[in-house]
Parts: sequence; C-alpha cells; structure tokens
Amino acid sequence: MLFFKKKAKNIIKPTLEDRIIDTTIFIFMIIVLVITLYPFYYTIVLSFNEGIDATKGGIYFWPRTFTLDNYKQFLSDASWINAIFVSVAKTVIGTCLCVFFTCMVAYGLSFPGLLFKKYYGIMLLVCMYFSGGLIPYYLTLRALGLLNTFLVYVIPTMFSIYYCLLAVAFFREIPFDLYESATLDGAKDITIYTRIIIPLSKPLMATISLFAAVGQWNAWTDTAFYAPARKELRTLAYLMRDVIMRNQIDTSASNASQMAAAKYSQVTSQSVQMAAMIIAVLPIILVYPFLQKYFVKGVMLGAVKG
Amino acid sequence: MKTKVVTKNETFKKFKKQYTMHIFVWLGLLFLLIFSVVPMLGIVVAFKEYDIRSGFLGMFTGEFAGFKYFIQFFTDRKFETLLRNTLMISVLKLIFSFPLPIMFAIMLSEMKGNGFKRIVQTVSYLPHFISWVIVTGILFSFFSTTRGVFNEILVNWGIVDEPIPILMEAEYYYGLAVSSEVWKEMGWNAIIYLAAIAGIDPTLYESAHIDGAGRLQRIWYITLPSIKGAISILLILAIGGLLSSANFEQALLLGNSMNISRSEIIEVYVYKKGLGLGRYSFAAAAGLIQSIISFILVLSANTISKKLSNTSLF
Repeated sequence: MLFFKKKAKNIIKPTLEDRIIDTTIFIFMIIVLVITLYPFYYTIVLSFNEGIDATKGGIYFWPRTFTLDNYKQFLSDASWINAIFVSVAKTVIGTCLCVFFTCMVAYGLSFPGLLFKKYYGIMLLVCMYFSGGLIPYYLTLRALGLLNTFLVYVIPTMFSIYYCLLAVAFFREIPFDLYESATLDGAKDITIYTRIIIPLSKPLMATISLFAAVGQWNAWTDTAFYAPARKELRTLAYLMRDVIMRNQIDTSASNASQMAAAKYSQVTSQSVQMAAMIIAVLPIILVYPFLQKYFVKGVMLGAVKG
Repeated sequence: MKTKVVTKNETFKKFKKQYTMHIFVWLGLLFLLIFSVVPMLGIVVAFKEYDIRSGFLGMFTGEFAGFKYFIQFFTDRKFETLLRNTLMISVLKLIFSFPLPIMFAIMLSEMKGNGFKRIVQTVSYLPHFISWVIVTGILFSFFSTTRGVFNEILVNWGIVDEPIPILMEAEYYYGLAVSSEVWKEMGWNAIIYLAAIAGIDPTLYESAHIDGAGRLQRIWYITLPSIKGAISILLILAIGGLLSSANFEQALLLGNSMNISRSEIIEVYVYKKGLGLGRYSFAAAAGLIQSIISFILVLSANTISKKLSNTSLF
C-alpha cells in the first residue's frame, strides 16, 4: 500500500491503463458490496414489515408498513426462547471447552525437544485426513451414550486438529527462555501454562474462539443427526431450518393457506422467519468486527505454516 | 553398549522433565482415539450384516457380508444420478469458485486508498460466518416466484414474462448451488492469496515499472508467478476435498422434492438411508466409496502438481 502511494506521488503519473483498471476495480468492488450486503438489508426490511402486507411484494429499500409484531411474535414463542437458551449454552460451553482443551494439547505438542513428536504428528495427520464417515461416527456416539444428550453438542467438538495445528504454530513463536526462566523461579508446568502462555496468546485464543463459537452457533446438523428425539435440546439454527423448510413448501403451493393461517394477525410465518433470521445473525455481526483483526492474522498463520 | 545405556538414561531423564507435556498430548490423542480412530475401525460395518440391536460390539462380531452392500449401492437405481450430481456440483464449484478468489485478491491488492479497501474486505468475509440455514432463508425470500425481489424485478422490467422458478426446478439447481457457494466463500478464500501477495517484494514491482511494464503486465509477470506456490497447494487441497465440496449442508437445505434429480448427492443419500431408514451397513458402504474416490483424487492431484511445479503436500 505504502508503495503504491509513494509511487503515485513521486514516481509516475497514472497512465490511461491505470485509470481503466482502477475504474474497473472500483465498479467491481461496488458490485461485490451490493451483492453481499443487500440480501441482509432486504431481510432486515422484511422483518420490520407487516407479514400480510409483505406477501404483496414490492418492498425493496424500506418497510412499507412498519411493525414490530414479527419480533414480538418471535419472542413470545416459548420454543424459540428455549432454542435461544440452548444455542447460547451450547456455544458458550462448547467454545470454552474447545479452546481450553485444544490449546492445552497444542501447548504440549509445541514444547521444544518433545520426545516422540514425530509419532504424535503422524497420528494427528492420519486423523485429519481420514474419517470413518457419518455412520460409524454415529454408532460410536451411540455406544458412548451421547445421543440425545446435551453433551453430544460439546464433547465431540472439544478438540479440533485444525485449531490445534494453528495453536502449535503460534506457541512455537513464543520464546523458550520465558519457560526456562519461569522454571528457574520454581514455577510448575501448569502454572507456566495458565500464567504465562495463556495471557500471551490472546490473538490466538480470540481466533479459535471466534471459529469455534461461530461453528457452534450455526450448527444444526448435530441436532438433526444426534439429538433429534429431545425437543428441549433443539437449537435456534435447527428450528430455523424447520421453519425455512416449511415456508419453502408453502411458497411453492400457494399463499392461500398461509393467509388463512395468519387470519387473526398481520404476522405470517414468513415474516416471523425474517425476524428469527435477523436475531440469529445478530450475535455474529456484533462480535465479528472486534475479532476481525485477530482472525485474519490467525488464518494467515495457519496458511503459512500448514 | 555403554553409550546406549547413557542415551536410554538421558531419554528417561528428558521424559521425566517433560512428562506434563506428554500428559497434555495423550489427552488429545485419547480424544482422537475415541472420536476418530474408533469410527475409522467402525468402517467394518460396511462389510457386515449389522443390526443396531447388537450394539457397539456388534459392528465387529456381526456376520460377514463381504461386498454385498457395495454391490447393492453400485446397482442402486439412484447410483448414476448420485454420482453425476456429486461430481458435477464439485467440478462446477472447482471451476468457478477456485479462480474467483484469486481474481478478487489481486483486484483488492491493486486498490489504492485504505478506507474503501478495508470496507470491501471486511464485508466480503462476512457471509462466511453466516450459516447455510440463514443463507437458504435469504435465497428463498430472494428468489421466491411469488414475492421474491429477483423475479419481481425481472417481470416488472419486462425481461421475462413468467417468474423463473430457480428454487423449484431441477435445471437451475447446479447454478444455484455454485453461485450461492461463491457468494458465501469468495472473500474468505481470498485471505490466503492476499497474504501471499502482501509477501511479495515491492522492489520487484518498482524495477518492472522502471523497465516499462504496464499494470496488467506487472500482475501477469510478478503477482501471479509469486503466488503460484499458494495456488498449487490450495488447488491440491481443493481437488482432495472435491467430493465433499458438493457440500452436504447446502444440498440438504436447498434440495427439495422438485429438484431432487439434481440436488441429491452421495452424502445426502448416506444420511437418508443410514440415519433415516436405519440401513447402516448399506449407508456405510456408500460413504466409504465416496472416501475412496476422494483419496484417489488427492493422491493424483498431488502427483501431478509435484511433476508440474514441484509443490506437493506430502
């Protein structure tokens, strides 16, 4: 960047080619921005518009008949509230477990001069590239008695090889002298890990936390595959999928049934769905800008090393 | 003899010094053993007459069925469709969603000024963090034939007479799958290329500039060759993950009874037959075939890349 700025000022005037390319890039980027952002914006607009009114179409940039009913309806539904609760619990517990456990293993692996490192590495790589597939995995979870329990959300995701390799690459950058001087001061391994390594690894922890949390928050297949029998374990993402699938069928049939169903209110399942979608995306959009500087670094770290 | 004893002692001493680290690592390996290795061994159910009532050990003790379930899958009336969809969607995604992030990264790196550039970059990652469920919801409201913006505009502007049933007709499914994937992941996949481009020595550009190379020439002769390594590695990875890039979640969510002839892929079938209907051995066999094809693909991609550009994963 610096180079281009300098060049533009000192070295040479932009040529015709430069201008054409700059304009093309600018237009292209505007298109990317619009295509990426407009669908979200459209969803927000629909979520604030009366449901029945929205089915008439023609809403593009702002709500025609503004209402908060969709959100009220959403928040008055006990199953949605329960789903939010499960999703939050799953995300918080799952993320903490994943970050804590994965980083612990990674710290062990990154220890300089670790014996048998080669064999540990082989096992990690084999497990990264091979898997038994859905069925044997399901049968294993079943044998462990994890199916249809809350634990099936957080235990199997506790360790991730990908995050582990990322963390190993990060820990290797921490000078070993720190460890040695702490040992001389009489610190135990666990103390060193919790008092020195963890505080030094905030960018790494932030990256892994974001990935793990987003994964947990967005996952619906774990409910659908491993915990379908217990209604109280349903997550926001899973319920959302249910509603979206139902609406899709409605759309293909006709609006008549939907109109009839919503006879007593101005709310349709479609408009509530829009509100639900916004609520489901909100935490991600709120957290994302703060963690962005970390995860870009984190991804690059993984890319360079791995 | 003597030296050997000394080394052994030293190894032991070293181990004693770092035993906490080994415990950390073993806990991780124990986890992998339970959740990764055991399922790998569990692949034997594909070769067994497995009955869910026989429990976990039944996977290993059950009666041997040989290749019965594999043959059943190959002769399944759906086999051809499943294979065609899986391959077609994966290959189309490779063709479109592999080069686009490279292009995007180069364009982004060619942009002057930091403000707008950072906004574009930030926005382009965002969809990566949004779940397929939400993306599906957005797609449905966008392309719906009765009230979607897309069709409304097309009809209002007189481009088409009838709304296009993008979500409901099989013939649109491949396009829908590929473009939604590109929409979701293009910015994210560009990160690695951006990192590679950032690592290029600026003096290269300067000297090329002085030698009279234009903008496009600089991109073609400096930027692209400099990120060739990154491109090759990611291409190998992409080909290795080719079959899984058909994207199970997307296929399950965007698939419906109307477009099933194009949207159903092997993984979805495995799920429906296995967890849906309880035909565990049959589904495991189908899943195994998918893994074997993937494995062959990554090996061949690796070999080809080794020969062409001396880059390889292993």
